[in-house]
Amino acid sequence: MNPLFPIRKLEANCASVPRYRASLASRSASLGLAIAVLMAGTVMPGRAQVVDGRQLVKAQLVADTQHIEPGRKFRLGVLYTIVPKWHIYWKYAGDAGIPTQIEWQLPPGFQAGPLQWPLPTRDQEPGGLEVFDYSNEVLLFTEVQAPEQLPSGPIELAAKSNWLVCEQQCVPGNAQLSLKLNDGGQGPANQDIFTKYSASVPKTGSPPAGYSVSMKPSGSQMVVEFAGVPQGSKLDFFPVPPENVVLNHGKQAGNSVVLSVDGGAALDRLKGVAVIQANGKTDAFDVELQPGGQAAATGNGASADLLGVLQAVAFALIGGLILNVMPCVLPVISLKIFGFVSEAGERPDKAFKLALVFSAGILGCFAILAAIVTFFRAIGAQVGWGFQFQDYRFVLAIACLVFAFALNLFGVFELTVSARATGGLAKLAAGGGYGGAFFQGAFATILATPCTAPFLGTASAFAFTQPAWATFLIFFSIGIGMALPYLLLAIQPKWLRYLPKPGQWMIRLKQLLGFLLLATLLWLSWIVGRLRGVDGMVELGGLLLIIGLLAWIKGSFWTPVSPVRSRVLAAMSMVAVLVVAIGSYLFVTAPSQLSWQAFSQQSLDKALQSGRPVFVDFTADWCITCKANERFALDTSAVRQAFAQNQVVVLRADWTHGDPEITQVLKEHGRAGVPMYLFYPGGKDRPPVVLPELISSQTVLDAMKTGSQTVADARKAS
Amino acid sequence: MRIRNICLVFGVLALSAGAALAGVEIGQSAPNFSLPDTNGQTHQLSQYKGKWVVLEWYQPDCPFVRKHYGSGNTQALQKEFTAKGVVWLSIDSSAPGQEGNYPADKLNQIASTQGAARTALLLDPDGKVGHAYGAKTTPDMYIINPEGKLVYEGAIDSKPTTVVADLKTATNYVKVALDDSMTGKSVSQTVTRPYGCSVKYAQ
Repeated sequence: MNPLFPIRKLEANCASVPRYRASLASRSASLGLAIAVLMAGTVMPGRAQVVDGRQLVKAQLVADTQHIEPGRKFRLGVLYTIVPKWHIYWKYAGDAGIPTQIEWQLPPGFQAGPLQWPLPTRDQEPGGLEVFDYSNEVLLFTEVQAPEQLPSGPIELAAKSNWLVCEQQCVPGNAQLSLKLNDGGQGPANQDIFTKYSASVPKTGSPPAGYSVSMKPSGSQMVVEFAGVPQGSKLDFFPVPPENVVLNHGKQAGNSVVLSVDGGAALDRLKGVAVIQANGKTDAFDVELQPGGQAAATGNGASADLLGVLQAVAFALIGGLILNVMPCVLPVISLKIFGFVSEAGERPDKAFKLALVFSAGILGCFAILAAIVTFFRAIGAQVGWGFQFQDYRFVLAIACLVFAFALNLFGVFELTVSARATGGLAKLAAGGGYGGAFFQGAFATILATPCTAPFLGTASAFAFTQPAWATFLIFFSIGIGMALPYLLLAIQPKWLRYLPKPGQWMIRLKQLLGFLLLATLLWLSWIVGRLRGVDGMVELGGLLLIIGLLAWIKGSFWTPVSPVRSRVLAAMSMVAVLVVAIGSYLFVTAPSQLSWQAFSQQSLDKALQSGRPVFVDFTADWCITCKANERFALDTSAVRQAFAQNQVVVLRADWTHGDPEITQVLKEHGRAGVPMYLFYPGGKDRPPVVLPELISSQTVLDAMKTGSQTVADARKAS
Repeated sequence: MRIRNICLVFGVLALSAGAALAGVEIGQSAPNFSLPDTNGQTHQLSQYKGKWVVLEWYQPDCPFVRKHYGSGNTQALQKEFTAKGVVWLSIDSSAPGQEGNYPADKLNQIASTQGAARTALLLDPDGKVGHAYGAKTTPDMYIINPEGKLVYEGAIDSKPTTVVADLKTATNYVKVALDDSMTGKSVSQTVTRPYGCSVKYAQ
């Protein structure tokens, strides 16, 4: 893009013309600009667009994090602060004006998603003109996918934005913006503005509960009809017409919004944002309307397309059946069949009942899924097939279950029902009882959801757009399809004969299936890694370690035949393991309370020039000694207090990736590696105190005392 | 119930307000008007029957107008088509006190500085003609054939920006429509979405 023609020139051209009425010029512009000043220090201002000494629009590049994680998504946006009375434009500007433009300039491998536009205002201009615009402040943002491999050190993101800002007059503006992330800072940033503006972006997917929107052409008029809206709702439709289609203003008439197309031709489809204001709440959602059709805009409570539902039900049955052999479910299902085999050998009558209960588990789980989908849709959230796997906590929980299951198959421990509850010997092995069968059905279903099978995609996609009853029906059909083999076994017990006879081979097969579950675990840990990065995977590993330990204690010391003392000891050690695990997790992950700055020769020189004492921590993520020192010696209240009192600048030189600048400094002080601690007592001429590799809080305090003493001596001498 | 009634009343009011900006349809007769130009002469559309007429909504301070005048783009079009007998009427609908509302001699001064080659610059400070045509932006272009029927309305070209360099790659809709219709061909794109600043009608 070429730059817009210079604003300076524009001003010069108009110098002789009285541009503003006095009242306008005297209005304060400070309010809008003040907001921007409050933003975090991670932003860089854009080029000024100044008219009559006022910066009309201030653009800043902002992210919702200070640190980009490899393979993770983060949000990146341009925050526009607009002086009062002026406005910039939405993606469809309306009768006049130009949509605001952003061109992302991201490093290789970064992928920006579509631009998210918060709901604008429908604004009146003199002469009956209407525009869709933003006043005071707006954040236009996108979701950026970071690549799997990130360079070490700071990452610079940039964007170019063009806009037109208008009040009585219009002035084009532009800015080249940049933002440096991974520059030492950690954790989220700008949460308040991202939360605020995300909330006002129109929802995509199905309309919120109970609403439906359809379009009927009537001559050159497009009638956008709203159904299921509360009485007295204020309705609006912000169109996003195709290029070169001119639409007249949409006006509410009863439960419709009427738009007309200039030039007479009716449109065959119309995109836009439906806006419903009722009971003090505004619902805005994206719709794409077609005359007669309403597939893209049907919600709960609306009438469903019966033929479509029947077809979806058929697809759901077939898809559900196929799910049984999909890789995510196969291990669990094989287990179940295996269970039937062993039961059928001993007590055939019980096997049928188990098959029924197992099917009930599948159906129950599908009912819960349908209920969750309906609930989330009712509150306006977006969900899709396998949505629960988007939450890493859910994946962690499932991974733990899978692991425990595998340990069980390996024979590390047996699940036993409490002797008191059964009133006798705990006789049921894992999954042997009805409760176990039901649970396994539910478990198989949960594992099945991320695996979409042939036919299933069509059916579930349809289910997500349908009213609640149809969603339930289709989900149930998938469940029935999946449970079909077991239901058949229950109905036709004779077929159990064709299954192999139980025997010693079952134990070996059980162990083999355990390895299959470990393969499933591998896949789950990959998901956790994708969602949470390397820290998340280590967290998962830690969790599994604890589960393994607990399972071993359980299996070895707390069996139905263990003496009471052994059981009590086992329970106590399990509690102890948990307490130690939680304690160490909290201790290790507690964020440092010192305000670290990233080390570079430049930052050191700058800090020394200020005359304040400087403490430099040479460290690396892989250096356990460093981490222990930081945790036990540096981040302690005594050291924090001493640092604060003496206004010590704390720099962290991170050698994790082998920064040559840091290597040089290490060499200068005769060290080959980390840890190394330097304390500069203040002033650039004072040599630093080099602390030993293993430090305690006292070592640090002593070093500070020695350092300060030499400074005091030097002052006295001079 | 009362809220609903109020909404209905507003709805009806809003619908009638929308009609104020109805504009003209392609193939229909362009509404006649009578406006003074910057030299005090009165122009009626009806007096140009038998000629091709271009109407151009104009006000000198809009950055989009500046793009087309600052680069000489509009003047070149005016020269080319007035030479072929086309009547080119620029219309300034800026209301008093609004941007682009200037005394006639100031507008004449700007026109001579810019080297404008239009037939006349008409003054429409009460916005009546602007509303009759449904003019929304500056520039907003209309082409009327010798029978007085509208053959084109909309943008001057296909690049809605204030960037002069975009002129090179833009399709000039006015030139295409004039070239086609004046040689007896049908105009392929009769309506486009005009772009620019809003016409500065009275508040």
